[in-house]
Amino acid sequence: MTVSAPLMTEQAPATTAAGPYRRMVRMFLANRLAVTGLVILGLLLVFCFIGPLIHHTDQVHTQLADATLSPGTRGHLLGTDDVGRDVLGRLMVGGQTSLEIGIAAGLLATLIGTVWGAISGYAGGWIDAVMMRVVDAGIAIPALFLLLVTATILRPTVPVQILIIGCVSWLVPARLVRAEALSLRSRDYVQAMKAMGGGHGRAVFRHVIPNAIGTVVVNATFQVADAILLIAYVSFLGLGVAPPKTDWGGMLSKGISYTSEGYWWLIFPAGLAIVLVVCAFNCIGDGLRDAFEVRLQGR
Amino acid sequence: MRRRSPSFPATARTPLAVLGVAATLLVAGCSSGSGQGGSSATGGTPQQGGSVTFALPPNATPNWIFPLGTPGHLAGYNSAIRQNVFLPLYAYNGSSGTVAMDEKAGAAKAPVYSNGGKTVTITLKDGLTWANGQKVTTRDVEFWFNLAKANKAQWGNYSKGDLPDNVAKFTTVNDTTFKLDLTKAYNPEWFTANQLTYVTPMPQSAWDVEDASGKVGDYDRTTDGAKKVFKYLIGEAGKLSEYASNPLWKVADGPFTVKEFTTTGQVTLAKNAKYTGDDAAHLDAVTFKPFTSAQAEFNVLRSGGVDYGYLPALAVSQQKTIENSGYQVKPWNGWAITYIPYNFNNPEMGAVFKQLYIRQAVQMSIDQATISRVIWHDQAAPGYGPVPQQPVSKYLSQDQKNNPYPYDVNKAKALLTSHGWTIAGNIASCTKPGTGADQCGAGIKAGTQLKFSLLTESGSTETDNTMQELQSSLSKIGIALSIKSEPLNSVLDHSPECKPNQSTCSWQLSFFGTQGSWYFPAYPSGEQIFATDGGTNLGSYSDPTADKLVKESTSSSDPQAMQQYSSYLAKQLPVIWMPNPAYQVSAIRNNLRGVVQDPLAFMQPQRWYLAK
Repeated sequence: MTVSAPLMTEQAPATTAAGPYRRMVRMFLANRLAVTGLVILGLLLVFCFIGPLIHHTDQVHTQLADATLSPGTRGHLLGTDDVGRDVLGRLMVGGQTSLEIGIAAGLLATLIGTVWGAISGYAGGWIDAVMMRVVDAGIAIPALFLLLVTATILRPTVPVQILIIGCVSWLVPARLVRAEALSLRSRDYVQAMKAMGGGHGRAVFRHVIPNAIGTVVVNATFQVADAILLIAYVSFLGLGVAPPKTDWGGMLSKGISYTSEGYWWLIFPAGLAIVLVVCAFNCIGDGLRDAFEVRLQGR
Repeated sequence: MRRRSPSFPATARTPLAVLGVAATLLVAGCSSGSGQGGSSATGGTPQQGGSVTFALPPNATPNWIFPLGTPGHLAGYNSAIRQNVFLPLYAYNGSSGTVAMDEKAGAAKAPVYSNGGKTVTITLKDGLTWANGQKVTTRDVEFWFNLAKANKAQWGNYSKGDLPDNVAKFTTVNDTTFKLDLTKAYNPEWFTANQLTYVTPMPQSAWDVEDASGKVGDYDRTTDGAKKVFKYLIGEAGKLSEYASNPLWKVADGPFTVKEFTTTGQVTLAKNAKYTGDDAAHLDAVTFKPFTSAQAEFNVLRSGGVDYGYLPALAVSQQKTIENSGYQVKPWNGWAITYIPYNFNNPEMGAVFKQLYIRQAVQMSIDQATISRVIWHDQAAPGYGPVPQQPVSKYLSQDQKNNPYPYDVNKAKALLTSHGWTIAGNIASCTKPGTGADQCGAGIKAGTQLKFSLLTESGSTETDNTMQELQSSLSKIGIALSIKSEPLNSVLDHSPECKPNQSTCSWQLSFFGTQGSWYFPAYPSGEQIFATDGGTNLGSYSDPTADKLVKESTSSSDPQAMQQYSSYLAKQLPVIWMPNPAYQVSAIRNNLRGVVQDPLAFMQPQRWYLAK
């Protein structure tokens, strides 16, 4: 007993609040792909948001005299596009739009899906049935179709794009969180809270959602990646943000028009940026999934 | 509704249909190039016979051959094909380098006007016969008039007051000559080019029947009879799969007859062995092949599957590849103009658009020459007024030709600042409201900012870039332009003619001219688009002087009337004049000669030949 008591005392800190987070960080860092993804994302953020402060370009006015200059010409490291704008600078500006919309829309979709799924799973019964049928119906309608219709009706500004993509992308997270909530609502601590007079709102927002946070965070990273791809699709179809703004999808779409002319600098940089950011978010998501997986934390 | 363009339907026309403008309007104007660039090489030793495959525009499926088209059957390719089987009274084309009457392609000699333009006497060509051996006579023309008059409500090209309403009396002089007494004096050029081109002699001796088993009679001479005959004929015309076998359609007087006409739109015309005119076909057959998309057509073109096709806009860069495959690549310019209408009734910006100095500033901010060269790769030509500038015609005024408002951003900016606008933060605001010479103008309140919104058609990189260039240029003079791209039909749907209090009047500027905004018949008058009561005056432009000039251009025989109209509107800027793109970039097989890319979008395949 005298031996075991100190052991218990020494082990106690491992279960304190700092312990799990440290283990999570350790698990995340142990995933090299996840770390690579994080580094890439960080570099892209710096490139897009800090880059324009260093590399000054005019992305508002066209310069037809400088149209489609090849890389390295007249100080344009990545050449110019078909209306004479510096491609490197445009890549930075376009990245801002893609990342802003992608991250904001991904988070919005996650937020809506989490609340919807948690309420549905926690409530059960007919409320669950109705809420999930709404989700089923929504999933049956292709998001791209909804996006195209809405983009035709509304002027596609950044806030509008965020709203539209967020509102069509919450269905999958809603299903995932609802599945979690179905399990969590019968846990002892939830029952205890209810026995002590706790309301449904408290149960959902203080117990169900926080305990489903692993699923939510992991899914959020995928949502961001999906949102960036979705913007690229919409832009590729010509319904992206209005000029002079642009995004990587829009740049790629425009560049593809010049494939046969060999203007690779209008295609590869934007395409590569999309691939990198989507892969980065997916890798981060994988890392977070490992980090939140309790069974792996004991390794 | 007036035929807008006698030609192939392109997307540009489709929109008009949406507007409810006669489907004819929709026709596309394929066009061609100025006389200079329009025709393919001639020369070589003509080879008699052979066959040629012509690629129809995307989704163009011919579906009519009867000379009186009903709504839904008015597309330009229908009339372009039909004119090779049933000769119209008159045809025009741009083969001479300017749009002019093509006497060989018509059934009559040049009309003679008398009685101050109120009477026209027409004589049919000698020796022209139908395939059944009967002569083409004035009775065949009367047959057309009788059917058109009794069934005008069903004739898709009918426009109230125009043909046949404007013909008070049809008088047969003899077998080859007839007289038309008109309701009033018309400009002979306008009447011939824009009205008589609709008239097509039809074989009364074969078609004047009320049902399939009936005998030929003079049924068309009573209204009831004409209605029954018309009903029977359009019933037969609806049976596309029978076009090649139905004896009705074999009675042709043109250089070709129908050999194949499928319900999916493939048409093959074979040389008419019984043709007696002076414009016989060289080729044995011409096949018009439909495609579902430009890309599909381009894939076939690259494999050599068509002799006369086109390059999608985005593939113009592959010109060399196509040329190396044995084709010559040539733009087919249209008898068209391209513009962006201002919505003068827009509640927010209508008062601003009504100021001529604002319109001048906007026009001076557009570098059409550079846009045409850099963005359109020389497949568009600057346009400065209401008359098509390619090919050059006698209707074009010097004012329009010389561009009254050359590109000059500084001058444009000065125009605004000298009229009470202050530019701050790249946006001009009205700081001197009022109607004085140095003030903003009537209806413009203090603080009004020059922020315009533009609806533009999506799907074209060239159009997208042109709009970005416009946005960039306007920003330099303090005008903020927000751009929204929509599919062409949506753009037209969202920019209707409207009253200020209508919810549909929120649009300010609208662009639908990737293939040209407006295609004209041979006589390019503007009664439809710039007259106050014009059917397609989208922006509600209204100017008494313009109305007077438009009216004179269609009723006066003064040759200066059109030039005055051209000059006035070039300076008044009822719309923003924009570079006019080619209708299509054609790829014509090297050994196919005699091709003229008619700006009116008609074709003369009887003159095509294969060189040895």
